[in-house]
Amino acid sequence: MKKFLTLLKVSIQSMLLSSTNSRGRSRKKAATGLGAVVAIAGLGLYLSGFYSYMLMQALAPSHMEILVFIFMGMAALVGGLLFTTFAVKGVVFGGKDNDLLLSMPVSSTLLMASRVTAIYLENLLFSAFVLLPAGVVCTILTQSGMGHSLLFWVRLVIAALTLPLLDTALSVLLGALVAFLSARVSKGALGQNIVTGLFLVVVFYFSFNLNRMISGLAANAAGIKDSLNWAAPLLWMGEGILGDWGLLLAFAACCVIPFALVVFGLGRVYRQAVTAFAARSAQSNYKLSAQSASSQKKALLRKEAQRFFGTPMYFWNAGLGLIMLLAAGVASLVMREKLLAFVGMEGFPLLPMAAAVICFCLCTCPIAAPSVSLEGKYLWILREAPMPGSTLLWVKAGFQLLLTLPCTVIAGACISIALGFQLWQGAALLIATLLFAVGHAMFGMLMGLTFPKLDAVNETVVIKQSLATTLAMFVPMAALAAAGGLYWLGSQTVGWAALALPVALLAVLTAVSTITLAKRGPAMLRAL
Amino acid sequence: MLRIEHYSKTYPGGKKAVDDLTLHVRPGEIYGFIGHNGAGKTTTLRAVAGVMDFTEGTIAIDGHDIKKDPVGAKRVTAFLPDNPDLYEFMKGIDYLNFIADLYDIPADQRTADIGKFGDAFELTGNLGSAIGSYSHGMRQKLALISAFIRRPKLLILDEPFVGLDPSASHLMKGYLAELCRGGSAVFFSTHVLEVAEKLCHQIAIIKDGRLVKSGPTEALVGDSSLEDVFLELEGEK
Repeated sequence: MKKFLTLLKVSIQSMLLSSTNSRGRSRKKAATGLGAVVAIAGLGLYLSGFYSYMLMQALAPSHMEILVFIFMGMAALVGGLLFTTFAVKGVVFGGKDNDLLLSMPVSSTLLMASRVTAIYLENLLFSAFVLLPAGVVCTILTQSGMGHSLLFWVRLVIAALTLPLLDTALSVLLGALVAFLSARVSKGALGQNIVTGLFLVVVFYFSFNLNRMISGLAANAAGIKDSLNWAAPLLWMGEGILGDWGLLLAFAACCVIPFALVVFGLGRVYRQAVTAFAARSAQSNYKLSAQSASSQKKALLRKEAQRFFGTPMYFWNAGLGLIMLLAAGVASLVMREKLLAFVGMEGFPLLPMAAAVICFCLCTCPIAAPSVSLEGKYLWILREAPMPGSTLLWVKAGFQLLLTLPCTVIAGACISIALGFQLWQGAALLIATLLFAVGHAMFGMLMGLTFPKLDAVNETVVIKQSLATTLAMFVPMAALAAAGGLYWLGSQTVGWAALALPVALLAVLTAVSTITLAKRGPAMLRAL
Repeated sequence: MLRIEHYSKTYPGGKKAVDDLTLHVRPGEIYGFIGHNGAGKTTTLRAVAGVMDFTEGTIAIDGHDIKKDPVGAKRVTAFLPDNPDLYEFMKGIDYLNFIADLYDIPADQRTADIGKFGDAFELTGNLGSAIGSYSHGMRQKLALISAFIRRPKLLILDEPFVGLDPSASHLMKGYLAELCRGGSAVFFSTHVLEVAEKLCHQIAIIKDGRLVKSGPTEALVGDSSLEDVFLELEGEK
């Protein structure tokens, strides 16, 4: 047990250090990191509380509170699966400390269990953030006094503790499949991208269907409950939380048994799996032909592209927003009628909403932010190269812009056509969103330099869990909210101010980020 | 070719890794840099390569001050750290082209040099594979090839013999000599004293960050061996 806890501590330390940057160079940075994590946790709690409240308000009058717990349980399951499946390849199977730890006198099952437990703890966060606010809302909104009993909270905590076991078992199995394909398929990254793409299609299909179910909830809650037989364990979880101990036990068994099977099953072959997933032998049939030359900047850009498209973890986590942008643009044209019917009500702020949707998608594309940390042990190559540090920074920020600007223009143009914007409105939409895209890239680059994680044990830690990436996503979202506030303030005064104020804010933030990067960026890079 | 004048490096916390080091490497020379673990060899080599900042002294390569004109200095330099980590997501040939692009090496010259060194180190056939699939020795060879194709005026190597098989080591020694015959210089650190004694024209011994002895190999070694001289200076004999 002592060994297990020691191994678990190492895994958790690695995750926490990257999330809070607490091994940074100053207490101020560590405090900033911790503050950001707390703020994001608060935001998560607020969001899940908000959705629980909306659902509970609709369902409590018909005594169908159970559906709130079922839907929130599904949200926790899908969210956790989405978040941790791609972390499994790096955290469970691809740690750089594998050689070190596997050579030590600990059983491979124990090592595997410690790493899977680290994944479980991540899923536990999801589960707690989603189910506990639902419990609070249930306590406040229901008239039966359901949430006032201690046993209700005991059952809820049991559900919150056991649900992530099922999530973890599924994500470890999917992650193992991803790792297997990467090692076995000659175009490993391509194969992994295809599997990931299919997985996301399934998740989105499921989420859209869930939305449809939720929208018809109030009218036919009982019918929806009956139609959820395919998700029997979650149904049992809901019944269990509301008082049926037998079904709660059945649900717990549905979570514990797959988890135990995965840990002990995969644990027995963990050493073989790690070896097989890492084994890629070099082929020896290459014939050298005439090579072509290109410029320094092109070479650096090509390297960034190779890393981005060749690292599925990077591509899907930092590039999903690009796909969402293009999908939003195309969908707005294809489903124009439905969209117009939905947003056609009097006084609906079409232009700012369109800008907000595009900017939100851009926020989910922190491509430049992790790129400094991803250099990690390779940084010496760029440092000894005959080029000024500023070249590297502009290329990295420029690579993000190379991807985001065209997608922003396409999405902006499609949405403008679909919503029948006038020329000036389309131009305003493009100016605002392009400004945001530039500012986002510059700010992300600054975050990458301010909170570097050059010694990460795997790329997952940098791309999914680092403070730089987190801040590069959420601070621009906060800026977006501030711009929304200015739009509202402006709309209370004169018409033109409603658009001018948020655009001016975005212009100022973009200028500040760009100037700071130009002035301080090279020195920050040298200091790494 | 390389002029290090009164170079000192103090790490945050006050530890002085190198103290007032002055050392000159002339064109055509192979200069060995010897010292125990933690003596300051790697710190010096990294500063010379422009990879690490320093506060005191000056370092100039072929007349280019590494602080005032880092790009000019790096353009004529190639540096290989003791454990060269290379981009694992790239193919070997992509990495060589990447380096060649950064150093503005013309297409025909790079094709010829990649062929020459790739064949010599028996790596040409593997260049189409991802570096992630290479063994440690293959990565070491690829890093060496990437250094040689730059035709550097100063080649800086940190423990270059670690991880190389005997035939690759032999080849490398031959290419180092060839490079120096062309007027370039080599500045390298090693713990393999026999190799240093046979290969180097000049040797410097560093202890606790201070240069304790330097000069032509024959004069330094005299009638004994480099191992004896080194151990004597280290106070272990």
